[in-house]
Amino acid sequence: MKEKLSYIGRSLPRKDALIKAVGAAQYADDREFAGLLHAAAVRSPRPRIKILSISDARARRLPGYVTLVTYRDIKGVNKWPVVMQDYPFLPEKEARFAGETVALVVAATARAARKAAALVEIKYRELPFVEDPLKALEKDAVKIFGDDNVISSFVIKKGSVDAALKKAAYTAEGEFSTNYQVHAYLETQGAIALPESDGGMTVHSTTQCPFYVLDAVAAALGIPYHKVKILQTVTGGGFGGKEDVPALVASHAALCAAKTGKPVKLIYGRKEDFQSMSKRHPGWARVAYAADKSGRITACRVNYVLDGGAYSTLSPIVLWRGTVHAAGPYKIANVDIKTYAAATNKVPCGAFRGFGQPQVCFAQESLIDELAEKVGMDPVQFRLKNLLEPGDRTVTGQKLNSSCGLKELVQTVRKRSGWDKKAKPRAAAGDVATGIGFSATYYGVGLGAKGRYLDRAGALVNIYKDSSVGVNVGNTEMGQGALTVLAQIAAETLNAPYESVKVEEVDSSKVPDSGPTVASRTTLMSGNAIIEAAAPLRERIFKTAFSLLSAAGADASKKMVAAGGIFSMGGKSVDFRKVVAECWFRRLKMSEQGWYAAPRTTFRMEDGQGDAYVIYSYSADAAEVEVDLKTGVAKVKKIWAAYDVGRIVNPRLAVGQAQGGILQGMSWALYENLIYKNGIMVNPNFTDYVIATTADKPEYDITFIEKPYAGGPYKAKGMGEVPLIGVAPAVANAIKNACGARVNSVPLLPEKIWKELKKVAAR
Amino acid sequence: MPEIIVKPSNLKELWKMLPGLPARRRYLAGGTDLVTAGVAGVEHSECWIDIGDLPELGSIKEAAGSLFIGSGVKISEIESSKAAARWCPALVAAIPHFASPSLRNMATLGGNAANASPCADGACSLVAEGASVLLALKGKKRRLPLVDFFLGPKLTALKKDELILGFEIRKRRHAGAYLKLGPRAYFGISKAAVAVTAELSGGAVKRVRVALGSVAPVPLYAARTSAFLADKKLSAETIAEASALVRTEASPITDTRSEAAYRLDMCGVLLERALKSLA
Repeated sequence: MKEKLSYIGRSLPRKDALIKAVGAAQYADDREFAGLLHAAAVRSPRPRIKILSISDARARRLPGYVTLVTYRDIKGVNKWPVVMQDYPFLPEKEARFAGETVALVVAATARAARKAAALVEIKYRELPFVEDPLKALEKDAVKIFGDDNVISSFVIKKGSVDAALKKAAYTAEGEFSTNYQVHAYLETQGAIALPESDGGMTVHSTTQCPFYVLDAVAAALGIPYHKVKILQTVTGGGFGGKEDVPALVASHAALCAAKTGKPVKLIYGRKEDFQSMSKRHPGWARVAYAADKSGRITACRVNYVLDGGAYSTLSPIVLWRGTVHAAGPYKIANVDIKTYAAATNKVPCGAFRGFGQPQVCFAQESLIDELAEKVGMDPVQFRLKNLLEPGDRTVTGQKLNSSCGLKELVQTVRKRSGWDKKAKPRAAAGDVATGIGFSATYYGVGLGAKGRYLDRAGALVNIYKDSSVGVNVGNTEMGQGALTVLAQIAAETLNAPYESVKVEEVDSSKVPDSGPTVASRTTLMSGNAIIEAAAPLRERIFKTAFSLLSAAGADASKKMVAAGGIFSMGGKSVDFRKVVAECWFRRLKMSEQGWYAAPRTTFRMEDGQGDAYVIYSYSADAAEVEVDLKTGVAKVKKIWAAYDVGRIVNPRLAVGQAQGGILQGMSWALYENLIYKNGIMVNPNFTDYVIATTADKPEYDITFIEKPYAGGPYKAKGMGEVPLIGVAPAVANAIKNACGARVNSVPLLPEKIWKELKKVAAR
Repeated sequence: MPEIIVKPSNLKELWKMLPGLPARRRYLAGGTDLVTAGVAGVEHSECWIDIGDLPELGSIKEAAGSLFIGSGVKISEIESSKAAARWCPALVAAIPHFASPSLRNMATLGGNAANASPCADGACSLVAEGASVLLALKGKKRRLPLVDFFLGPKLTALKKDELILGFEIRKRRHAGAYLKLGPRAYFGISKAAVAVTAELSGGAVKRVRVALGSVAPVPLYAARTSAFLADKKLSAETIAEASALVRTEASPITDTRSEAAYRLDMCGVLLERALKSLA
């Protein structure tokens, strides 16, 4: 039964809509400070160099030039604390990818800083480098990471895959690859560092993860955490790209500020942002499935490799998520998954919406279609036969609870898309063939077993005398709507008017380390922390309201009803403002801290068995695609999608997340093609790195099936990443359905489809 | 961006100010190529001369036998010009493929030609229109067929300080088409493009001009294909032959934007579709 709620489940207006729409929002570069200096990075020109010397002799002649900053200026430890500690804040002897920051210059203006950076001379010797992640894993490869170039590796083992493959009635096997994806946030990376008089540092940073910035700045400067304050600025998009690397950018700004004693601003240009900031990992996977005569999947084998780039950054965790989800959302008794993140001398890859899942999902969901074809079943029927249901066990042996609506999602998409009529190959109309494709996915919400020590969040709820409510959390708004959804949760819990609640951008000194804003965890984690903080306040407010109403002569035998900021009982009512005034008059505590830690997970790294995540969200997608048989151009006409992300807090924002995720997933699937040649990024710009525009946008048909999650705030799970994951395989399957061309690599460029069409014609 | 940007108010003033300017100087019109090059770090002039608002370059003029489009005319102005729609249909057909609406409000046709990119949509369609280009240097004017203006990627017949006054298109009744294959639905640099103009008479074409974009070092006039199509009926056979022939005229490369073999094939596909649209 649904509770009666005032704010949850309503499309309330975004808290930050107006300031963003009118251009009043203050992004990092909009902030000005007296005496502000500007920094620019000096970057490695080659894939791998031994640094012999760095000289600013020529830069020094430039008007406005202030100083050069190198690793010698680091007072703390020259290791950026991420997961593993292999990435120095500034390299001492060796730079490992083209575009890596080798030093920084500081000058009076941003223009002078950029000019000075170009005048700094790095003397270097080139070292042999590794470009291809598969070659990096070969025995005779040049070693750049440990003794095998393996940053990280995981296994999931269950049953006997060899035996199942031998016994199988049908098998399907294939090799798939996916390319980089660039986050393409509108606001590039940037930070401003302000030295404080006590030797501390305040940093304004555009970031998803202020506490990663805190860790890094304190480490680089060698000062205690309480002397460092991180203030998140309005963040112009993240998508994972502002998870780890803002900590590096902010540390660089802080090093410059510490050396000069002046505030320093460091704002990235688009080109350097492309060259040096994190990306979605290119992926490669060989997948094999087996099925018995009835079409039941009996085994799955996956070899999965991610191109980690020059430093490990988030690769281990990205790989782990990919590993857990590599077999797809199916009941499979025999599983053998082996995964590797390989080091190469290219840009370090990290988080990107989906976090290691989309790459392998493209492989396995493409192959599921191939297997269904061999079995002679419709791809949707085949999926329905094998999909996970409540009570089933995942490939890691985790038993799923009742918050799993996957089959319902698939049936919904099947019905809404008219699948049964459309799935049989249709005749082309002239040069244009139309097809439809399907995919189903699951997504572990939150950090899971691999990130369990970071999986907690705090909140501060503070009710002022005038009854306005200030909420501080440790997770960030980056465009996804956190300020709004969290305000709805606070308003609901306190019975405060929505308009009176303000959730602030993160200030690291106001709330404890709440982990990163990633993994679709903000609504769940910060939401629960707010509820925890607000619960005692709620009790005080409700008791006070009751006594006010009783004193006013309300019939206390009637139940008090609290809704929309009004408390009413027996014909009398009182509003939130009056109740809060009374609370203050009674000297009640009107400010509380909240804390939420994710429940325990039992996953074992040795065999990959146990509970990997606390809870899962689910998606099903159908894509209708037109393929031009002469040019190979594919156009996605419509996407039908259904999601189970638990209770929806704000339907309009949820639809926005869904549309954005679909379009970003489609853009990756069809267009986005970052190219390296001889260790150098060839197209670090939006002229030649092409992303979808609104003209490419498909029609959307989005349905939410809300399977409540008892552990979530007002029964919500998480949704930010879910809509992206299944898009690419649905599109690839639709292309195959339209014209017979199976393209095994993302992006599904017209050139690749054109080549496959020639093979189809030759058959 | 250079330290110095000057903006003369007319041509006379421009010629007068030239000797006093730094040696490494370039003309700046809409800036959509030049500023981008500056940001990418491949444009190192000491001085830009802003000719974007020079009155002598800014208008579309219809004379008895020809149409003149000033080099400073914004692409979006051509889009809404009735004279352009009447006398250069291939150029007008190219405009929706030209960058984005906001860039079309900035970019000029002169800049599109002077930048000498083989993928310039405006330049390619003007080659199909058989346009001439009018050039000026300190009061001295000359005229070139546009096909002779392009010498290679980013290379033109322009002498130092010479600028493009505009383009002249002979007034003749003809049909035109422009088909482009870009990386997405719109707002992209072409992988291959085909511009066609044809004087139609009954069921046949009299004169045809076929130009190709992004498949040669310059916006390419496909001379043999054009000659082949002259005075022919646009039957399915003729169209198929022409599209086979055009594949032999292009010399595309493989780069970040596409592959040579694909581009070559697309010349044929696009020409076939362009001719069908005229037939």
